[in-house]
Amino acid sequence: MRLFWPKLLEWRDVVVDLQKKETLMPFHPQVLSFVQALSMRLIRMRAYPEVVALGYWLRKAHIHEMKEAWLEETKNRFVKSRGTVFHLAPSNVDTIFIYSWMLSLLAGNRNIIRVSGKEQLQTNALLSVIIDVLQEAEHTMIAERTIVLTYDHDEQMTAFLSSESHTRVVWGGDDTVKTIRRIPLAPIANELVFPDRFSLAVLNAEAVLHAKSEEKEQLLQRFYNDSFWFDQMACSSPRLIVWTGSNEVIEAVQIEFWSLFDQVIREKEAELMSAIQVQKFATGLALAAEVETKEFKHGTTFSRVSFERVPANVRERHCGGGLFFECKATELAEVSTMIVDKDQTVSYFGFSKEELVAFVEQVPTRGIDRIVPVGQALDFDGVWDGQSFLKSFTREVVIL
Amino acid sequence: MMYPYDLAKQEKEKFLVQQLNELTSRHLEHSLEYQAMIEKSGGFVQAQALNELPFIPVQLFKMMDLLSIPREAVVKVLTSSGTTGQQVSKIYLDKETAASQTRALVEVMKPVLGEKRLPMIILDTKSVLKDRTSFSARGAGILGFSNFGRKHFYALNEDMTVDWDGLRRYLDEHRGSRILLFGFTFMVWKYFYQEAKKQNIHLDMGESILIHGGGWKKLQDEAVDADIFKRELKERFGIQHVHNYYGMVEQVGSIFVECEQGHLHTPNYADVVIRDAITFEPLPNGEQGLIQVISVLPKSYPGHCLLTEDLGTILGEDDCSCGWKGKYFTVAGRIPKAELRGCSDTFTFDRKGENG
Repeated sequence: MRLFWPKLLEWRDVVVDLQKKETLMPFHPQVLSFVQALSMRLIRMRAYPEVVALGYWLRKAHIHEMKEAWLEETKNRFVKSRGTVFHLAPSNVDTIFIYSWMLSLLAGNRNIIRVSGKEQLQTNALLSVIIDVLQEAEHTMIAERTIVLTYDHDEQMTAFLSSESHTRVVWGGDDTVKTIRRIPLAPIANELVFPDRFSLAVLNAEAVLHAKSEEKEQLLQRFYNDSFWFDQMACSSPRLIVWTGSNEVIEAVQIEFWSLFDQVIREKEAELMSAIQVQKFATGLALAAEVETKEFKHGTTFSRVSFERVPANVRERHCGGGLFFECKATELAEVSTMIVDKDQTVSYFGFSKEELVAFVEQVPTRGIDRIVPVGQALDFDGVWDGQSFLKSFTREVVIL
Repeated sequence: MMYPYDLAKQEKEKFLVQQLNELTSRHLEHSLEYQAMIEKSGGFVQAQALNELPFIPVQLFKMMDLLSIPREAVVKVLTSSGTTGQQVSKIYLDKETAASQTRALVEVMKPVLGEKRLPMIILDTKSVLKDRTSFSARGAGILGFSNFGRKHFYALNEDMTVDWDGLRRYLDEHRGSRILLFGFTFMVWKYFYQEAKKQNIHLDMGESILIHGGGWKKLQDEAVDADIFKRELKERFGIQHVHNYYGMVEQVGSIFVECEQGHLHTPNYADVVIRDAITFEPLPNGEQGLIQVISVLPKSYPGHCLLTEDLGTILGEDDCSCGWKGKYFTVAGRIPKAELRGCSDTFTFDRKGENG
C-alpha cells in the first residue's frame, strides 16, 4: 500500500478526510483552473504525442465548449455530482483513463485513483505531472478531494474503497473486470466497466483507388497514427481491415495501399523490436492453421493475415505491434454480419453518413460504439463504449 | 577425426539440405497444421541451401500442439520449463525420435566425456525427477545426462541447501577417479557456488568435469560471464574442465557442446543459421542475430527448423583450433521481452504474466 497523493499520511485517515469534503458543482471554477493548469503542462510534453493530445483536449476553449453543451443539456434541471468515484487504472497509466478521471473531476466528484503496483512515479511522466499540479497552492480544493494510491492484489482493500464510493470505474482486461465485479459496491453506487474491446477499419476500395495522391498520403498517415501510436494495443486501434468493393478493385488497391504503408512506416523510422517481430511471426503462423485463414504475409514493418471469414475467436489472438487481419466484403451492409459484441470502433474511409447509419442499424449484436473517420480512432470522446461519462458521474435531482 | 564433429562444410551442407528437404516434405504430409502454415505463408520449394528452408518460431509450440504422428504413437512428451503462469512448449516424441534423441546426446558428449561412465554428482535436488509423466526441461536434462554417470549423488536437499557432509563423503569415496558434475548454469552458481562462498567453503574436486546448460539469462543480470564462471569454480572447487551446452526442448538433436576453446559446436546432424533480429534475413559469420536451429532428428513433430529467441554469433566453420569440424558459435542471451502498451490487461488479478 503506497500513497502517491496526498503524501505522508495514514491512508485510512486520508479516506476519512476525503469523505468529509463536500462535492463541487459540475464545472466548478476551481476545477476549471486546475484542468487548465494541467493542460498547459501536458501540451509541452512533446515526447509523448498521446499526452499532448490529452493536453489539447483539456485546453480552456474545449472545456468551455463542453461546459456550454452541458448547461444546454441540463437547462431547467438540477444535476449534482455523485460523490466519491473510485477509479481502477490499467497497468500502464494510459491517457484514456486520465480522460475519465478528468471528466469525473469536471462533474464535481471526489476521486480515488488506484494505479498499478508496477507504476513508479518517476517513470510515469504523466502521473508525476498530475501530482505536481496537485501540489500547487491554488489547487488545494482539488488536492483535498483526490487520492492517488497503489497496492498489490488485495481484495479487502478494493472492497473497502468500493464500499466508500458512489461510482466505480474499472479499466482493464475481461478477467480484471470479472474479478472486480465479484467485489461488492456500496448498494447505492453505480459502476462503469471498460473491458477488452476490438476495433476495425472499413475501407471503400473504390474510394481509396480513386483518391488523389495527396488524399491517399493523408489517409496512410492517419492510418499509421491509428494503428501505431499505441503499438496497436489500444482498444480502438484498428486490427482488422475490411475492404469493400469488387474483387479486382480490392486486389489492385491492396497491393498499392500496403506498399505505400510500408514506406510510411520506414519514413517514420518506427522502432521495431525483435520480440514483437517474432511474436507477430508466431501469431500469424498459428492463425494460418485455421480453416478460415487464406494467407499469412509476414513482413518487416507489419504482417498481414487474410481471412475468408473472420472467426470470432481470432480477436483474442491478436498480438498488436503491426499485425493486420484482412477480409473482403462486397458492400458495407455485409460487414454488419461480422460484428461481435466485443467490437468497439469502426474507422472508415469512403462512406457517406447515410451508409454508416444504415450499417450500424443492421448490426444484430451488441458490437460497435464508435464510427469515426480514419485518423480519429484514438481520439477520446466524452461518450465511450456507449456510455456518457458526465451522465454516469452525475445524478439528476427531481424538484417539483 | 572426432565423430560427430567430422563433416566438413560442403559435405555437411549437402547432407543436411537433402535430409531437411525430405523432412519438410514429410511434415507437410503428416501435420495438417504445419502444412497450412507453410502453404499459406509462401509455400515450400526444395531448398538449395540451409538458410532457404522454411523455419517456424519456437514459440509456436507454446501456442499449439504440433505432431506428425498419430497421437497413439506418442511415447514421451517433453515440456519446456516455463516460469509460473507461462504457457509451456509440448513436444511429442514417438519411439524413433525418442531413441534418436538419446543416441544423439551420447554421441555429442562422447568426445568430451570419453567412453567410461564416471561417478556423477548432480547439482540439483532429487525431487525434480518425481513426476515421471511429464518431463520438465530440468528433469529431462538430468535424466538424459545421468546416463553418462554412475553412483549418482544429488548434492542439493529439498530446500535447495547443499548437503555438504554428503558431498565430502562422496568425494572421499571417489578420490583419485575422475568425477562428472552436472547442473543448470544458474543453479550451479546460485545454490552451489554462492552458498560455498558465503560459508567460506573450499573443496578439492580433483580431476572433475562440469557439464552445465540452461542459459545465462539470470547470470547476465549479475554480470557473470563464462570466463568468470569458469575461473571462480576452478578457484573454489578445483574444477578443471567446464563445458557449457546450448539446447532446447523444442529441438531434439540440437545439443551444442562447448569445446575446450569455449566455443559451442554443431554436430554432423544439426546446424545453426544466424538471422537479423528484425528482418530475419540470414547474416554472415561474425554478426550477431537470432539463432535458427536445424536438426535432422525431429521426425515425430515439425521441429526440424526453428527460429529461437536467443541471440548468437557464428565465429567460424571447420577451423576451430580444438580440431572439431562444423560451425562454432557463442550465445549472447535472450532478446528482451516486449512490453506493449494498451488499455487492456490492467494490473490484473489474473496472473498471466505474459503481455496478453
